[in-house]
Amino acid sequence: MEVKVQAIDHRDIFYPPGGILLWLIIILELITFGLGIAGLVYYGRIEPEVFHQSRLQLNSFIGTVNTMVLLISGYFMANTIVKHKSGDIIATRKYLKWTILGGMLFVGLKCYEYVEKLTGNLELEDNMFFTFYWLMTGFHLAHVLVGLVILSFSWWHLKTNPSSVQGADLESGAAFWHMCDLIWLFLFPSLYLIF
Amino acid sequence: MEKKNLSILFILIGLTLVMALLDVFNLEIGNYLTSMVMGIAAVKFLLVAFAFMDLRKAHFFWKFATVLIGLLIVLVVGFWV
Repeated sequence: MEVKVQAIDHRDIFYPPGGILLWLIIILELITFGLGIAGLVYYGRIEPEVFHQSRLQLNSFIGTVNTMVLLISGYFMANTIVKHKSGDIIATRKYLKWTILGGMLFVGLKCYEYVEKLTGNLELEDNMFFTFYWLMTGFHLAHVLVGLVILSFSWWHLKTNPSSVQGADLESGAAFWHMCDLIWLFLFPSLYLIF
Repeated sequence: MEKKNLSILFILIGLTLVMALLDVFNLEIGNYLTSMVMGIAAVKFLLVAFAFMDLRKAHFFWKFATVLIGLLIVLVVGFWV
């Protein structure tokens, strides 16, 4: 099954890969999470011992596995775009399915980690470290869930009516998904390792 | 292209494992190790942005904005903790 793909000149400032609106969102999200991380570091300097003890209560093994899961999912997403550009819809669908499954695994592991924290009575208002932990990982998880909805929607359309899925639409979904990667790549060391 | 993406994935996973090992062996994370951890995070950030997101094909403005924000986060965390 093959479809024709229209080429876009990404060198044009108004047409970055994924679209200008999505890239504005990406830049704003990176700034927002960056400010969150700066706040975490600021309070970490005020209460270094509290932050160190709190950090030790996080499960860095799950954090590491989740990082790898998200990276592998990102790899499948990158291949999804490559295959769609080559017009191979069956392979596009296959890679997109694995991307979604990777995302679901990330959500599952995150939920397990949350349950672990809640049963250990490590809640939002315990201290500033856990306030940042719950808010930042929670907002990130919300982004992953939105990404999963977008990708599932694309996958469904690829299955039912492949010609309706434009390369630009798929690239936008991919850019959103990789944005979740980018944010997590800074959240993971900031929360799980450095304090 | 797929092989290149796979090579990048292996590099990313390798770098993640290096970061995790610092924690597993319970090394005392001093200032220079914090900078190292954030440096590795920056490399991963750039690899994902330029290779997986195709940022290398984009206009200079988007490359500059992304790299600038990434570097600011690394500098704030790496040298302020």
